[in-house]
Amino acid sequence: MKVKSILYILGAFLFFLGLAMIFPLAWALYYGEGDLKALALSMLITMVCGGILYFSFKPDENITLSHKEGFLIVATGWFFAGFFGALPYVIHGVLPSFTDAFFESISGFTTTGATVITYIEGIPHGILFWRSLTQWLGGMGIIILSIAILPLLGVGGMQLYKAELPSPVKDKLTPRVTETARTLWIVYFIISTVEFILLLFGGMDVFNALCHTFTTMATGGFSTSDASIAHFHSTYIDAVITLFMMIAGINFTLHYSVLVGNFKSFYKNSELRFYLGITLIAIIIVTLNLRSHIFEDVGSCLRYASFQVVSILTTTGFTTDNFDQWPALSKTILLLLMFIGGSAGSTGGSIKCLRILLILKHSYMELYRLVHPHAVTAVKLGKKIVYPETMASIWGFFILYLAMTVAASIIMTALGLDMMTAFSSVAATIGNVGPGFGGVGAASTYSEIPILGKWVLSFCMLAGRLEIYTVMILLIPEFWKK
Amino acid sequence: MRVIVIGAGEVGFNIADILSKEGNDVIIIDKNEERLKDVAENLDVQTIQGSGSSPEILKTAKLDQSDMVVAVTDSDETNIVACLLASVQSKGALKIARIRNRDLNKDSTIFDKNHLSIDLCINPERESVNNVMNLIEYPGASEIIDFAGGRIKLAGFHLNSVCMAVGKKLQDIKEMCKEHDFLIASIIRNNEPIVPSGKTTIEENDYLFVLAESENVLDILKFFGKDVAPVQRVFIVGGGKTALLLSEELEKKGIVLKIIEKKQNKCEILASHLNKSVILHGDGTSQDLLKEENIQDADYLIAVTNDEEANILAALLAKQLGAKKTISLINRVDYSHLVSSIGIDGVMNPRHATIGKILHFIRKGKVISATPLHDEKAEAVEFIALETSEITNKPLKDIKLPRGTIIGAIIREDNIIIPGGDSIIKPSDLVILVTLRSAIPKIEKILTVKLDYFE
Repeated sequence: MKVKSILYILGAFLFFLGLAMIFPLAWALYYGEGDLKALALSMLITMVCGGILYFSFKPDENITLSHKEGFLIVATGWFFAGFFGALPYVIHGVLPSFTDAFFESISGFTTTGATVITYIEGIPHGILFWRSLTQWLGGMGIIILSIAILPLLGVGGMQLYKAELPSPVKDKLTPRVTETARTLWIVYFIISTVEFILLLFGGMDVFNALCHTFTTMATGGFSTSDASIAHFHSTYIDAVITLFMMIAGINFTLHYSVLVGNFKSFYKNSELRFYLGITLIAIIIVTLNLRSHIFEDVGSCLRYASFQVVSILTTTGFTTDNFDQWPALSKTILLLLMFIGGSAGSTGGSIKCLRILLILKHSYMELYRLVHPHAVTAVKLGKKIVYPETMASIWGFFILYLAMTVAASIIMTALGLDMMTAFSSVAATIGNVGPGFGGVGAASTYSEIPILGKWVLSFCMLAGRLEIYTVMILLIPEFWKK
Repeated sequence: MRVIVIGAGEVGFNIADILSKEGNDVIIIDKNEERLKDVAENLDVQTIQGSGSSPEILKTAKLDQSDMVVAVTDSDETNIVACLLASVQSKGALKIARIRNRDLNKDSTIFDKNHLSIDLCINPERESVNNVMNLIEYPGASEIIDFAGGRIKLAGFHLNSVCMAVGKKLQDIKEMCKEHDFLIASIIRNNEPIVPSGKTTIEENDYLFVLAESENVLDILKFFGKDVAPVQRVFIVGGGKTALLLSEELEKKGIVLKIIEKKQNKCEILASHLNKSVILHGDGTSQDLLKEENIQDADYLIAVTNDEEANILAALLAKQLGAKKTISLINRVDYSHLVSSIGIDGVMNPRHATIGKILHFIRKGKVISATPLHDEKAEAVEFIALETSEITNKPLKDIKLPRGTIIGAIIREDNIIIPGGDSIIKPSDLVILVTLRSAIPKIEKILTVKLDYFE
């Protein structure tokens, strides 16, 4: 383990994270609500810590990382992001308990959107902006952003890229990893800009439009008001945000191919079709279900159903209606969607459509083989065969994901939560969704969860965002053996 | 530069490694998923799984935007087809192919512009045989690299305790051997290259690279305590393609040859091609056979079977039985370090030779050739100095070169100058320099950026 190189890279990363605090600082300066000092101090602490690590461990030669080190850097990098990202909340005093601040911060970076803040309108704009910005940075991946911007990694960059990219297939868009990282971020930036402009057209002010763009594109779900998107009472805004949540849940590699004019690979993509199919079916069921219970006219049913389905499926977690009050069928559908998530390589969390699709195909293949014992079969994705090894890793992920959900749910119920709250809080955090049901439902927050519970959920968020393996690998003794 | 490498074997891997580290965009195509995984893990390149001779795959690799195609799969046919497709899809791309088949190599007209249009064909066996022939010609050296069309040689060899230079500083060595001009270009100690200066002390077991004029090389090798008696009797173990090529070359030099091959039918092929040599049917690692054929009188034993481990064993055995020197064919770079420490005198590495040849070819600008030295940590570059270059018209000591770079020789018209601090490079001089691999991009900059401006 090259401890020095690891600390050096983490130093560069922290310095860079501190630098990002300049944006909320500007808003704090603009609104003058007394959060300037807290943000400036946080920025200073983060940058100084980063700078010290960077300069004291500056290596003489080029760094090459093994993949063990890649996992370690990414996991600790994210932990650091959560830790230093919490500073503004603690220093300012909006969240005086460090547990709460860390929860809020990690919920931001992992694009979960679970909040412990009970009165969001009371938070100064600078800090509110930081809260949204953490989601945008975490959405495409803070480490990938560092690879794109900091030219200090060559081959090592690939190890970091693989450890952070939320996809079972770790292909590169271009021959160089820095180039790939840059391309992904440029695509992300372009789509964000479009959404920002569309939101401005809908009558949002610049601040709200920016914050909501950040949290939509990252499929994060932080809003600037307690009522979330319902606050705006606008069908147009609902529609725009629904559309961009949908877009953010699609593999960014596909967006890239559209931007360079390759439409064929876009509509021929089987994961995309699966993702759209699920969305459509879920919207139809929920709309019909709501029609007979909650809303009178079909238009409203469709509007609220589609918003909520997309919001939960893409693991964003915005709300336009208190879906906790919806009929059981709709709630069941939403709870199940939490376990599907967006496409691989999107900013969405959870298990991901690609894995679910392949697992279904694989299961079907097993049935098929029972009928034709001598058949030679293979799981295929488009025209490509999915190798048994990849398939095994997907099954492994699936089992680990469920096992973690079960284990965390048991802990949460042991802490005294009711069954629905415990289970849905874990499902909503490990899947990076945000709101759950019951005690953590759309109209409530996570502030009532016991301290230990908050740490368990923080861990779930981190593990969920880094696709379990990157975090779990650090917990097995084999990893640390020489 | 965008480069497509077809075939992720040892050669493809190494070429991709070198090119991507020098800042090129590299795409590797191979059929084998496992192999590609290994590549993706270790190199910053893009990998595509599929056949290199499939137009569809080459299209996904964006062949039309590529500047160079290097086809180095095991199959000649795939390599040829890949280059052919490349010349259809991308007009300007440079095409390099590995062609093993001897018969194809003989008739090189089919590769020219009007037919297959392959810019460089490499036969690894032929390349490595050429390297061995150089060693036979200059006994005592472990490797010999040609420069300036063969007039200057870079000789690499190990020092043993017999050498009187051991323990001396470089500036003193210069005094000791006044009659011949030479330059110690690089010293490899414990597998790391050291940049020599006048104050560097030579130690036992150092591996030296010495640049000198061809006619002086033997004398210099003698000075460093090497045995330079001409080679008369050679044993070859193994009777494949390489052995045949090698035997033909050796026969031309009038060297007495004994070839040992296990398989009857291969022996027959050899017998039909060769006239003077003794062809023995038997096992090259059999002590009795070697003794029976008087191995103790052999100047060289060259083991070139397909089995690398057997080659090493045969060489060791022969050495113990009294053969003066031994060379083994070894493809795996991992083994190369080992070889010198266990007492084998030279390595014949077809893959290494292929890599060297390709590098020669693709260096930009007026660089005539470049050769990787010793596991590719250092490189020797031969180029023509330009009037506009930063290095011309001033004393060498005033030139700012990247760390680890040494100007080894200057050739002006017919004179060969082994330079000192006051020497001056003039425009259109041929210059040979030795540098570390990491400094190559900087060197290329110094040599070629001005070139673009000039033209």
